[in-house]
Amino acid sequence: MSVDTIAIVGTGVAGATAALTLRDAGFDGRVLLIGEEPHAPYRRPPLSKDVLRGSMPDERTRLRPAEHWATKGVELRTGARVTGIAADAHEIVLLCGETLGYDRLLLATGGRPRTLPVTDGVPGVFTLRTLGDVPALRDALTAGTRVLVVGAGLVGAEVAASARAMDCAVTVLEVERTPLARVLPPVIGVRYAGLHRAAGVDLRTGTGLKSLAHNGSELVAIDTDGAESHADVVVVAVGMVPNTALAETAGIEIDRGPVGGITVDSQGATSAPDVYAAGDVANLPNRVLGGRQRVEHWMHAQDHGAATARAMLGQGTPFDVVPWCWSDQHGVTVHITGWPDAGDEVRLDGDLDGMNFAAEFRRDGKLVGAVGVNRAAQIRLLRKEIAARTSSEAIA
Amino acid sequence: MKVYRCEVCGFEYDEAQGWPDEGIEPGTRWEDIPDDWSCPDCGAAKADFVMVEVTRA
Repeated sequence: MSVDTIAIVGTGVAGATAALTLRDAGFDGRVLLIGEEPHAPYRRPPLSKDVLRGSMPDERTRLRPAEHWATKGVELRTGARVTGIAADAHEIVLLCGETLGYDRLLLATGGRPRTLPVTDGVPGVFTLRTLGDVPALRDALTAGTRVLVVGAGLVGAEVAASARAMDCAVTVLEVERTPLARVLPPVIGVRYAGLHRAAGVDLRTGTGLKSLAHNGSELVAIDTDGAESHADVVVVAVGMVPNTALAETAGIEIDRGPVGGITVDSQGATSAPDVYAAGDVANLPNRVLGGRQRVEHWMHAQDHGAATARAMLGQGTPFDVVPWCWSDQHGVTVHITGWPDAGDEVRLDGDLDGMNFAAEFRRDGKLVGAVGVNRAAQIRLLRKEIAARTSSEAIA
Repeated sequence: MKVYRCEVCGFEYDEAQGWPDEGIEPGTRWEDIPDDWSCPDCGAAKADFVMVEVTRA
């Protein structure tokens, strides 16, 4: 069967990169790029940093100039919600009622911020994931504003640092013993706790939000330790939930375990013929450690979108890109690659307390992850070293 | 010598190191890199880099 139309649901970096990759790979049929967000594809990484602080105009986050999509023959539809997939008929249905046929379909539906039942319906509570989330939060973060950040993952920690840079009074609650626990081992996380505290953040670890109430002009929070704090603004940053409903309704296999996501093989194919998934929403094989994973980092979504686009054209190779991410908090840059948590041995080069180091994490003597502060080039090389391991050498 | 960081993916261009992979010699100043150069890791434009303070060990 010839491939004439490829539809992509989701205008985040996975979907947008897939659309452009189809053209780069020589596909000359119809490319539909459909997304619920009102914005043309843009970059999320600066949102919690420069964009929130107001030092990068929203305009600068655009992934490509506005005219680029039409120039490439990509039919970009923003503000359009796909409500159903008829996998047998190879059709998608939009909220407006329009039905569109496809020969290949890519689900790059990403995720949405996880919310907390105790903050439901309380005014003054924000989440941050999209460009549309930024203006109201930025306007609320004036000097002297009391901000309570719930969750010290990458987004929460970056929002806390940005709010301090905006002269807000910042308190952070984190249920784990150290901040950034999903990406940094405790030995490094504890240094990040010190960094935040030295910058004037009231970081409280090992405690979560128990209740939140609006009382006159302020918000009163009680944490699980029983401590009370008062805030003008609350930012909930407790992770994301993959957007799997569209796939699930269509009968496409999703992961029902804690990892979640749409189950795909090493080339991005789902359980439904001609339907693929890429980016944050994809539950994919981990070709270095074995098992399966979902990765929520920018570069992974970009690389996975590109690789899956090629697979949709029959030009795929097994996807084995090693995850990596970076963060900037209080002027300190960290680069993280691989799976540091999987290591059973740490080799340190540099000064941990001085926040100038590279840490290699090894399992059975083999490199599985690396974390570097002030060591961008070194971590980049270590990422390549992890990636050089083929699946035949997988150590799980 | 200064360091410039890609605000999208965190790639750092260090003037002292250059970027020999693409023929940019060590010591090449940021302003001497062509405006159409893009981030080797994520493809972001040169304009998407910012100068960062980096302390060397």
